[in-house]
Amino acid sequence: MREEYRLLLPAVAVLALLVAVPTFYLFYTSFLNWFLRDPEGPTFGGLNNYIRLIQSGDFRISLVVTLIFSAASVSISLLIGLGLALLFSEKLRGRNIMRTLLVMPIVLPPVVVGFTWKFILSSEVGIIGAYFMRLIGLGDISLLGDPTLALASVIMADIWGKMPLPFLIFLAGIAAIPPIYYESAMIDGASRWHTFKSITLPHLHKPLIVALILRTIDAFNSFDVIFVMTKGGPGMATHTLPMLGWKVGFYYFDIGMASAIGVLLLLLVIAVSMPLVRRISR
Amino acid sequence: MVRTTPLKFFMYLLASIIVTLSVFPIAWIVIASFKTMHQVFQMPPQLVFEPTFDNYRRLLFGGQLMNAFFNSLVISILTVTVSLVLGIPTAYSLSVLKNRVGRNVSFWILSVRMAPAFAVIIPYFILMYYLKLIDTIWAVIVTYLTFAIPFQTWLLKITFEELPRELEEAALIDGATKSSALFRIILPNAAPMIASASILTFVLAWNEFLMAFILTSRDARTVPVLITALSGTHKLDWPIMAAITTVSMIPAFAFITFVQRYLIKGLTMGAVK
Repeated sequence: MREEYRLLLPAVAVLALLVAVPTFYLFYTSFLNWFLRDPEGPTFGGLNNYIRLIQSGDFRISLVVTLIFSAASVSISLLIGLGLALLFSEKLRGRNIMRTLLVMPIVLPPVVVGFTWKFILSSEVGIIGAYFMRLIGLGDISLLGDPTLALASVIMADIWGKMPLPFLIFLAGIAAIPPIYYESAMIDGASRWHTFKSITLPHLHKPLIVALILRTIDAFNSFDVIFVMTKGGPGMATHTLPMLGWKVGFYYFDIGMASAIGVLLLLLVIAVSMPLVRRISR
Repeated sequence: MVRTTPLKFFMYLLASIIVTLSVFPIAWIVIASFKTMHQVFQMPPQLVFEPTFDNYRRLLFGGQLMNAFFNSLVISILTVTVSLVLGIPTAYSLSVLKNRVGRNVSFWILSVRMAPAFAVIIPYFILMYYLKLIDTIWAVIVTYLTFAIPFQTWLLKITFEELPRELEEAALIDGATKSSALFRIILPNAAPMIASASILTFVLAWNEFLMAFILTSRDARTVPVLITALSGTHKLDWPIMAAITTVSMIPAFAFITFVQRYLIKGLTMGAVK
């Protein structure tokens, strides 16, 4: 038994140092009034940062943007992922190569996903943003310059980049359904719709939860794709919570308030992810 | 048995349209990397044009630009190596320790993997600021270990758990220690899976943006940071950006077929097999 514990140590010891200590420190700094370049150094401020944060208009806007962005990106990517998983579970020739092509975006750097769509939607050079928009007579609309359209655009880019995750999860879920169910449904003469509703869908309950949780965590933390495309703008139209944190912490160097945002994000993610973590780690 | 019914035909049609639409953005940026500035601005966009390799030439000999690729490569390789060396023994131990300690440590490691990058980066920024390590690859590597170690360890753990245990048990009965069983039996048998886990860790590090963005400015900036910095400039040089973007996609292209079967496990931390 002793040897197992000795082997357990390397990653655990390093992680304790690299993760546990900084996490406590993050909670600590969230109670400090601390501008990094202030020569007077930090002072203890209690809940000051949290109160300032909740009272600030920027926080409220960022929270709303994060919620809209997450709700839209998660729900649509799950729906599309499910639809595609159903289609690509059919016996189609070239199925594997098509699956591989569909999965591509998830392994790309998110920054690349953002830049690719910025290029396509650009009102200067974009095949959609400049060419198609002019073609249908909307040439004077800038997709990334209009607040509503910009939010819709970053959501679309995010869906394109993340859709492979639910797609793969549902694909695996469908493949795990014992074929005997479908065979007996066929003998009974059940319609496709009926088979889907009473066999496929109930079996996808667990995959759905996994996809939902993973996508939600991911959406709450969205930064890269949006930052490249719009930098949070125009105005604050695409300004998510991590972006607020970045601006507060590394633009204004208000470390205390940035830590408070970090703590909030951390608690949010813990609340969402714990059911999944508990289930997988058992 | 395969008959082409109207339904089947419709499915093929739909599948091809979807795949085309999904691949189009990638293809379009790769195509743009072979265009001149003038060709990029041409409307309607040209599909047939005289390709130029000028953008890649400028990228290769553009001084600052290649530096970012070099940084990304060194950071990713070192992140993978360290997390692998630390992860292997711990993962093996977790795969055999089925008591409370093992379960709690597993739970903790998996929770760490879920931590938001923004929460992690603040203490690291402060630390690196005072250690004067801002804009060095070392700051980035240490910070990357916070997600790379849990990721590697967890993937290796579920990999080891799936290996048949007979050989290992036989070795233990013959008097081998756990460590020698790990190195002589487990590791050789799990080699392909270890390679897959390492590749995914590499891709994770290669793709990471937020941490590198905050920790680096010029000398140590990685490819995603470079792309973001250049795409924020006022007069955008689209063709060279397309070339940088294309090259930055190489690891993804190179590895996707190799790790595809492992990908789902990696993305869901084994929640879906």
